[in-house]
Amino acid sequence: MVNEVLMTQDILVEDFLTIFISSTLVLVFGGFYVGIYTAVKVKMLKKWTLPFGYLFWILTSYCLYLMGSLMHVNELTAKALVVAAIGLLLLPHAVYYMQDRVHEENEH
Amino acid sequence: MANSYLNSESKKLATWYFTVAATLFGAQLLFGLVAAIQYVVPSFLFEILDFSVARMLHINALVVWMVFAMFGAVYWLLPDETGIETVGIGFGKLLFWIFTAAITVVVLVYIFVQVGSADEMSIWFIHEGREYIEAPRWADLGITVVALGFVANLFMTGMKGNRSGIVTVLMADMIAFAGLYLTGMFFTDNISVDQFWWWWVIHLWVEATWEVYVGALAAYGLITMIGAHRKVVEMWLWIEVSMLFGSGILGMGHHYFWIGTPEYWWEIGALFSALEPLPLVAMFIHVLYDWGKTQGEEHAKGQNRSVITNKPAFTWFVINAFGNFLGAGIWGFFHTLPQVNLYTHGTQFTSAHGHLAFFGAYATILIGMMYIAVQGKNGIKVLNHTKSSIWATSMIVGGVLGMTVALTIAGYVQVLVSRAQMGATWSGYFDGQAGTWFAQGMDWRLIMGFVTFTGFLFLIKDLLSIGKATHHAR
Repeated sequence: MVNEVLMTQDILVEDFLTIFISSTLVLVFGGFYVGIYTAVKVKMLKKWTLPFGYLFWILTSYCLYLMGSLMHVNELTAKALVVAAIGLLLLPHAVYYMQDRVHEENEH
Repeated sequence: MANSYLNSESKKLATWYFTVAATLFGAQLLFGLVAAIQYVVPSFLFEILDFSVARMLHINALVVWMVFAMFGAVYWLLPDETGIETVGIGFGKLLFWIFTAAITVVVLVYIFVQVGSADEMSIWFIHEGREYIEAPRWADLGITVVALGFVANLFMTGMKGNRSGIVTVLMADMIAFAGLYLTGMFFTDNISVDQFWWWWVIHLWVEATWEVYVGALAAYGLITMIGAHRKVVEMWLWIEVSMLFGSGILGMGHHYFWIGTPEYWWEIGALFSALEPLPLVAMFIHVLYDWGKTQGEEHAKGQNRSVITNKPAFTWFVINAFGNFLGAGIWGFFHTLPQVNLYTHGTQFTSAHGHLAFFGAYATILIGMMYIAVQGKNGIKVLNHTKSSIWATSMIVGGVLGMTVALTIAGYVQVLVSRAQMGATWSGYFDGQAGTWFAQGMDWRLIMGFVTFTGFLFLIKDLLSIGKATHHAR
């Protein structure tokens, strides 16, 4: 099964650049999302900038989708990419929640 | 040089390790330059120091200088973290000299003997032929003894003194680090089996144990340089450890795509490789969060002073957070899935990733630790930048980024021409390398290599002289 996926669905030559750029943008946009979220939480940025953070997460997810489609990833890898996108969405929230609780315990 | 402000033998030993590490770092860059010149002028040092030898010296010096600096960093932080002198420090010093002597002999053999006949004699006394860890077997055994001795120092000190979260993580991590080296020591005549185990050393070092080690160093740096809350930092360290091991161990599957291992590794490699950038993103948040929070608390008190007590070191730690994310994260992610790795494997893409990942994830933070040692050695309360430290940082970072971009462009040509259009054939291999874009990529890699090396010279000058500058707070 895996063999078929890899050997019969070759990547088109003209798609390579899009694949490399979109996979780069996955982490660049992901970094912006995480950076904006963190900066808002530590009050380095105003709260109104937070929606832009989420916008970057949407762009990250789109780039993951685009990259996966052009690579013709199989079903399991597609699911892994969805899990990675959701993980990236939740990660800063979970980390901030835990850090904040520990800070509170430490300071009060 | 006098260690007038160092009252700990462990810290003195750390400075010895850092000195050898910096020397080997220079050797790594020098032989890298030789290999880069040979790409552009193939006759350069032909039959004197061939590309294969220069490359071997380049990548082995890389691994060894980092191991030296890692040992040094642990000896540096142990007294601070445990509150006692490192147990068995005399034995530690003896091991340092054995390690240094062994590496010196190995390097001299690499340079002057270079190759031997295809028999056991070469494996024992010249080199083993395994990329990155090519030390001959006698040296392998010596390195194992040294690594075990180092782990013993660490464990005895951790068990006797205050065992902080950082020390506990290091104790667990370093025993895995030393133990994994053993998997790259035995010989098999089946190349697939050989590669299977060899990756246990390389991958499980750089994408598991070394990353955890970096997490522990970052934690130590945040506590000592910006006064971040230990409880927060250590809690975060445990999250990083679980995420790094959770994704990194089976992420090894991405090295098993094409070496003759069963096909299920494609699925495992794809799944866990897709998750591997997440802890790197998390480490990135960690530094930003702690820095922002600690500086914010200072501002809330109505004080505008910077919380950073070692600016050059902290600069390198911040570059580490970005560099790890860029080199290991971005440059790793875009060729990690098997569908695209089929085309990128073994091209200059790999080399671009290797350069930025090793630099971003490890060299940066280890250079930062050298600055922490310089600060401690000179009894400085707040270490400020100098012109040399700014030049060194700018040129090394700019040079490595430049090399990475040049290698990425060259790799892209190889993917399109050698792999996608010509189907990974013999002629495709040469046609890809004959292209103008590939050739220009190699030229730019060489130019940026010189920029990096010049930055290194500034770095050494700075490490030797920054302690004597008068603009620091003492």
